[in-house]
Amino acid sequence: MLTFAKKSLLFGGMISAMLLSTQAIADGKYPSKPLDYTIAFGPGGGNDLMSRTLVKILNKYDLFGGQNIRVENRAGGSGAIGFNYVAQQKGNPYHATSTSGNFLGTPIVSNTGWTYKDFTPIALLAQDAMFLVVRTDSNFKTLEDLISYAKSNNLKIGGTGAAGPERVVAGLLSKAAGIEFTYVPSQDDAGLITSLTSKSLDAIVANPSEVSGQVAAGNFRALGYSEKKRSTVFPDVPTFAEQGLDFDFSLPRGVVLPGEVSDEVRDWWVATLKKVVETPEWNDYLTTKGLSGNTIWGEDFGVFLETKDKDFRGILTEIGVIK
Amino acid sequence: MGDIASNLMLGLSVALTSYNLIFLIVGVVVGMIVGLFPGFGPAAGIAILIPMTFGLEPATAIILLAGIYYGAMYGGTITSILINTPGESATVASTLDGYPMARAGRAGPALVMQAVASFIGGTIGVILICAFTPMLAKFASSFGPSEYFLIVVLGLLLLTTMMGDNLVNGVISALIGFAIATVGVDAISGAQRFTFGSPELIGGIYFVPVAIGLFGIGELLYCIYTGLHVKEQTRMKISFRSKSFWPTKVDFVNSKITFFRGSLIGFIAGVLPGSGATIGSILAYSVEKKVAKNPEDFGKGEMRGLVAPETANNAASAGAMVPLISLGIPGSGATAVLLGALMMWGMQPGPMLIYDQPEFVWGLIASMYLGNVMLVLICILAIPLFVKFLDVPYRLVVPVIVILCMVGSYALHSSMIETWMLIVAGVIGFGMKLCKYSPAATVLALVLGSIAENTFLQSLIISDGSLSIFVERPISLVLTLALAAIVLTTALLKFRKFMSAS
Repeated sequence: MLTFAKKSLLFGGMISAMLLSTQAIADGKYPSKPLDYTIAFGPGGGNDLMSRTLVKILNKYDLFGGQNIRVENRAGGSGAIGFNYVAQQKGNPYHATSTSGNFLGTPIVSNTGWTYKDFTPIALLAQDAMFLVVRTDSNFKTLEDLISYAKSNNLKIGGTGAAGPERVVAGLLSKAAGIEFTYVPSQDDAGLITSLTSKSLDAIVANPSEVSGQVAAGNFRALGYSEKKRSTVFPDVPTFAEQGLDFDFSLPRGVVLPGEVSDEVRDWWVATLKKVVETPEWNDYLTTKGLSGNTIWGEDFGVFLETKDKDFRGILTEIGVIK
Repeated sequence: MGDIASNLMLGLSVALTSYNLIFLIVGVVVGMIVGLFPGFGPAAGIAILIPMTFGLEPATAIILLAGIYYGAMYGGTITSILINTPGESATVASTLDGYPMARAGRAGPALVMQAVASFIGGTIGVILICAFTPMLAKFASSFGPSEYFLIVVLGLLLLTTMMGDNLVNGVISALIGFAIATVGVDAISGAQRFTFGSPELIGGIYFVPVAIGLFGIGELLYCIYTGLHVKEQTRMKISFRSKSFWPTKVDFVNSKITFFRGSLIGFIAGVLPGSGATIGSILAYSVEKKVAKNPEDFGKGEMRGLVAPETANNAASAGAMVPLISLGIPGSGATAVLLGALMMWGMQPGPMLIYDQPEFVWGLIASMYLGNVMLVLICILAIPLFVKFLDVPYRLVVPVIVILCMVGSYALHSSMIETWMLIVAGVIGFGMKLCKYSPAATVLALVLGSIAENTFLQSLIISDGSLSIFVERPISLVLTLALAAIVLTTALLKFRKFMSAS
């Protein structure tokens, strides 16, 4: 039971949040207050880098109406803490955060009290999809070679983690191609790469940024890419879909606001972020991180999150990580 | 050879600009200070200070961070020797003989020798980087899960030499470490173990709060328990002029081979990804103890017992740069953070880096030479200052260390849970000390436990459950034979001792 005091606080908070969002737009001058940009991970990681790049661009081109942007890392529990904090700000248009793989993954594997549905989707700014990579000196010249080999041999494919995006891509590949193989989970990216270089594995599913150096050096060959469209950074690598395998999977590197912000605020953010992705700074960021720049906006981003969440849950249920 | 010389010249031309030199000095000094704080190792130091590098040129930024990396390695040893509180796991082995030496009034020689040992280890390490980077990179890339597992087992086997006299207590201590390592998401099955539904525990129990707690807080509580804070202090006087400040000729003569042995062992351990400075320093220590004519003096203040791990951990930090630069594979926690930084600045770590960005890579290597020279000077010149630590009344030191430990474990992830872990680990550390268990074995088992488990399971998944994978691959075979040889000779020696006794 909530006490009266708590109830009135809660109620007051809701009212003021509603007032805040309607008022800001009614005045016709959103943004009129500083923004709190929450990073749900520690400094130095992928989410941190994307968030800080984004805020830097917003500041540099004065895209946030001259208002200040406060950036804060609220790390812990694989994003559970930071995303929870933003989810609590229901209706407040002066909070924002960046999504990445854990935005979908963490609520699936643990009881976080929030899911992607508690946020207002603004934009998918970059696609974090996976390469299927083999050694250049292996017999697998094409995806076809690998699939036909797997039909009569025990193929070993590695990826980082047992229940992460790599596992999902491997699972979807296995279903689409109608093959079975042994999935070998690695505890980190470094171990994964040496598992392939040391010939312990036949192929690995990995983030382009982790293997693009090896690919450029001629040590590794990328056989397929898991996004719907080809990567804007590696246009030479064909997608799985192009090669007749009907699946795609990529992690959402995008921006969300707390749930229930007004449509006007969402449209303002969509318009603003469309300017951000046109800047050379954003392009540099995509290139160095090996992320693909195919964007998805507003409601469509919500749909994207829904399908990826379903893929994620499906594979994790299948391999018995969740029930 | 001509290639290396011209490459080094290129590197020096980058590192020797006054702008970069200033950042190198800032880096090593900051690093040393960071290293002095209990629990703050190079990884923590670099992680916390990465925001400082925003807006710097990549070459300048990496020079700054590499300076912090080396500085913290030097600084960490100082607290290991003076207050028995290793800044991080790589300097755990340095407490074994360093602290007894300080207690015996030989803090001065111990500190000077550790600086010299670190300098020699670091310098030999950098020389080896230049000479062997391409070759060693190839070696590192042939290490699969089965080879890693065997290397880690080798490391764990050598743990036993650190456990002191009571083997049972040592094994129990290590088992506690393994138990802590199982908390979190199992990398192989994806299942959550011992998380009790808490999202805070999904990522596992992090090494830093446990280490700071066991060593820092545990040691403090024990000192208070023994009444150290009310005891009158005997003032320790150390100055350059006093004869007892400098190591004796005997110290140097005894350690002359140790310098090179330690450097080599450390460097090799550093090059192998995943092992790094911690295993390097333990390996060097135990090898030194094994070959010594007076193994019974180790752990009681034997100079070689300090020199070996110190040369090794600095050579290992240099060695860890090899897989980082040539493969984009971090060999340790600190280089993992460096890798994150590299990518943040838009570098693409991998085999192409040395061709695409020669100024960057060789600038970094050249800055390591300069950093080592600077550090040995700073370190020796500032030693009387550091030794003053011991003159401060203990009742004043306690609150300061408690604050540093708390802030340190909170600052890393801004996590209150980790701060609680620190406190719990502190109480456990006190209990362990009281009952003569080995916190060092616990911490090292915590670090190595999950690697051992994961690589073992990966090997078995790859081989469909057959143990033959550990003898079929050539490097695995060599490692398996080495392991068998160690176990057999130890058993044989024990047996002969037993026979001659009865």
